[in-house]
Amino acid sequence: MNSRSFYAVGYMFLVTAFFSTLIIGFARGTQTRVQANERLAFEKAVLTAFGTFSYNTDAEVNRLFEGHFAQSPEYGKAWVYKKDGVLAGFALPFEGKGFWAPIKGVAAVSADGRTLQGLAFYEVNETPGLGARIVEPFFRRQFEGLQLRSEGLPLELKPEGTVLSEGQVHAISGATQTCVRLEAILNEQLKDWLDMMRREGRL
Amino acid sequence: MKTASVKPMQEIIRDGLWKDNPIFRQILGICSTLAVTNLVLNTFVMCTALTLVTALSCWTVSLLRSWTPRNIRMMVQTLIIAFYVIIVDVVLKAYWPDMSRSLGPYVGLIITNCIVMGRCEAFAGSNPPGAAFWDGFFNGLGYSAVLLVIAVIREGLGMGTFCGWPLPYFSTHWDKWIIMVMPPGGFFVLACVIWACRSIRPREVKQ
Repeated sequence: MNSRSFYAVGYMFLVTAFFSTLIIGFARGTQTRVQANERLAFEKAVLTAFGTFSYNTDAEVNRLFEGHFAQSPEYGKAWVYKKDGVLAGFALPFEGKGFWAPIKGVAAVSADGRTLQGLAFYEVNETPGLGARIVEPFFRRQFEGLQLRSEGLPLELKPEGTVLSEGQVHAISGATQTCVRLEAILNEQLKDWLDMMRREGRL
Repeated sequence: MKTASVKPMQEIIRDGLWKDNPIFRQILGICSTLAVTNLVLNTFVMCTALTLVTALSCWTVSLLRSWTPRNIRMMVQTLIIAFYVIIVDVVLKAYWPDMSRSLGPYVGLIITNCIVMGRCEAFAGSNPPGAAFWDGFFNGLGYSAVLLVIAVIREGLGMGTFCGWPLPYFSTHWDKWIIMVMPPGGFFVLACVIWACRSIRPREVKQ
């Protein structure tokens, strides 16, 4: 290796070390804030899914969440919702691949595991005006009080205009791919969790 | 590294915004043009990020040009661009998390945007830092102007809104063109904008 090569390698090494150090320092300086933002988005989704909480500030979101929700190993990944010290439901986080990007959200499940109390999302990057409409109240309201099927898949999304039966809600016209993926994510993760809870006699 | 005679400021502005506009003259940065232009607000943030990254990357590349060995210059440029993009990404995550989630991976993809590397390679590597900064800045503005025009058309025709606000007529009586918010809508509008802009100076295009 001649001196020019040594210079190039040394120069690249120095420049990389310099910029990497700056980035690491900057990322560490904002790490707490980034994590707090992610946590806040999740907490808001949990409160929205149950639909019984009202709040004005981020501090209130945090207070309400910590006052009513806790995680316990025997309930798997679900957060336990307690109202006046009594078990009132579960907040089950779910996530999976949407049409364009991951979909992350929370399903509010009743204490007996038979109905959904609501649904909320904290990360959706689907097509604006089409798939992204899954976050809108008109779609989410369909899941409030939805009876989950005990046999087979817990729920089903049917095309608009279809007559619905137990465990069914309407999909969004023009957002077929997002709805198909959301249905699969919800069914897979609800079924796994409900089966685990029933197997262990907690429901 | 050689230093060319410095371009006058007026020429830098005119070239970046119009004569060598990255979108309708050089056809660079088309991927993000198609990806983010279905919402005006997202487009505005993306354009601001790209303009800042291009200007600062060009400035830094120009500052280091006398010491950077020619055979590794593109690696150094990529490193510098990635540095600024990560800074923008972290700032959005920390201070505007909703926008960060909404733009998703596209902020990170500025690293691969041809405009940034193109200006670093074509101009910043052989011009002083001040001129390089403004060249990057006005190329970013030229990109932003075209993207915002496309975004206004796509959001208006596809959703009947502007920055989320309902537009008169378009939000009520207009039969929304769903294709406008889908990626193919970006191709159609981009082609129309390129056609319109190039039609204004047909003689120059022939040259």
